[in-house]
Amino acid sequence: MCEKMNRSLAFLRDKYGCPAGEIVPGNEGFELALPDGSRIPLLPWRVERRFVELKKIIDGKTLEDVSTFRFASFTAGGDSVKSAARELELASFLAGSPVKQLFSVRSGDAACNILARLANGMSASVECGVKLPAGADPMDRHEIIARRGVASDRTVDTQVPQSSIYEWTGSGLQTFTDVDTELFGLPNDQIWIVRAAFAVLMKPELAAEWTKAAASMKRYADAVVRSDSENQPVQL
Amino acid sequence: MKPVKIAMMGMTHGHTRKYYQTLIENQKLDWVASCAADEAAKEVYELYKTGVPCYLDPEKMLSEHPDIEAIVLASANEKHFEEMKFCAERGIHILSMKIPTFDMAEYDKMIEMVEKADIVCQIELEMHYNPVVKRLQQEIASGKLGKLLAVQATNITLSPVWAFPWQGSPEASYGKRVPLAPGDKRFRGGALCDHPHIFDLIRWLTGSDFDTVFAQVAPNLRRELEVEDMLMAAGKLKDGTAFLFDPSWSRLEERLKVPAPGWEVFPKRMEVNLTITGEKGMIQCDCFGPNVYHNGAPNDRYTVQYTYFDEWVGLIDEFVDCIRNHKQPKINLRWHKRTIECMNACYESIQSGKTARV
Repeated sequence: MCEKMNRSLAFLRDKYGCPAGEIVPGNEGFELALPDGSRIPLLPWRVERRFVELKKIIDGKTLEDVSTFRFASFTAGGDSVKSAARELELASFLAGSPVKQLFSVRSGDAACNILARLANGMSASVECGVKLPAGADPMDRHEIIARRGVASDRTVDTQVPQSSIYEWTGSGLQTFTDVDTELFGLPNDQIWIVRAAFAVLMKPELAAEWTKAAASMKRYADAVVRSDSENQPVQL
Repeated sequence: MKPVKIAMMGMTHGHTRKYYQTLIENQKLDWVASCAADEAAKEVYELYKTGVPCYLDPEKMLSEHPDIEAIVLASANEKHFEEMKFCAERGIHILSMKIPTFDMAEYDKMIEMVEKADIVCQIELEMHYNPVVKRLQQEIASGKLGKLLAVQATNITLSPVWAFPWQGSPEASYGKRVPLAPGDKRFRGGALCDHPHIFDLIRWLTGSDFDTVFAQVAPNLRRELEVEDMLMAAGKLKDGTAFLFDPSWSRLEERLKVPAPGWEVFPKRMEVNLTITGEKGMIQCDCFGPNVYHNGAPNDRYTVQYTYFDEWVGLIDEFVDCIRNHKQPKINLRWHKRTIECMNACYESIQSGKTARV
């Protein structure tokens, strides 16, 4: 997997003339290893295009006075606490403000629900679960509610993600959503990892910002576990 | 590889602004100058603050930048012949907007000029560099659908005429003033002229060519226009594939002078969707979806915010590759000629009320 991603990264580096770096597995996800020996945690959701557009919608004042983030993420397996921490990090990124307090309720490792307050006063709810059947595509939803306008990565009157292509053959229904011509052929989750590594190489100041954000995310995960065990909100 | 010294000319085409980011970011290009068709186009160009100097006289631009190797002709259709001649006479490579000309005698002269000058002339049909189209082509080529039987496709948008008035002028868009049909007060040059993509894609996806076409116009949504804004075309390819195309301006718009947020009235201002039926299966495809959505400023209307839209990156990559490695672009004048012939056949069918052979 890393070899394929690094081949794609090398293609982008060559095309756009950017410095050396390699994608490597880390403890909490993929990292970018730089020639000086440092390793930068990669935050692929920060370069994922739907979230980039949602951030533009907030920062460009298309939405005015954001009040609440309503996020959900359901997967086939994985760690619901880590998923929740990632969703909180995404909310913090979009809001431009860290999480100040959170309250969580968990059902073992299978599911957790969170209410969070950001330092700028905005509110967030996060729903996470890992009990989709093996092989099912992840299901998620990100809705941002403001005094002026609502934005979402899911279209109105739908519950599930849409695809670009629906193909019906004797083998049943197959769907495709291709999002990147330059990296065509890589699975979408790997595309965003490559794009994240490329972003850090093109913009070195992201290294410190993402390292700090990854540390916050770890604190969010610890707080999710603690809040559930104490049945109390946790200050961060 | 030495970056290609590139310029833009005209600056009145609806796609002009889509090049700015790519021309600035692509390391294989050095965007050195622009030349606007008139003061008004120059004023709009300057709103985007590209930092690239803009001239009003192509000769002046070339005298200041004699090393220009290629020019993007971002102009009205009626200007293309003279601009291509200007480039060909100077050995400058050309990236032309999607309609070189509807005048087939002029079209043949373009081919002759380009081939004589041994320059690259690529036609801007950006759908070829769309990742969804790439997947669609791959799935069809895999044979999973079996032999294709039918294709339905939309290429529907808002009308750009308020920002780019030449697109509502029969002379500037179609090249001359030709009535649509006896008794019809409208002229050729509207929505059909803006939407060659689906005519091109079906040839590419099937490997076949047009046989016959029947087209009809509907009452205009915009009464003020003297060109058509609503039409449909149905026909057959030589391999028997049946098609139905909707190339209309069926999505209403705010009448902005410069495209900006809030341009659309209908939430999705541009759609290219295909339905493909084969002997063994079927595909439905949205080339510009899914996206993200909002109902915020400026008009508080539900709006599609296009999310995956980087066709110009691949298009420019191919153009540079063709220039540096002396290759023929996929969409060259000779390939594109049959697409233009089919679009002309649609107008002939509208005029006669009968099927037209392409």
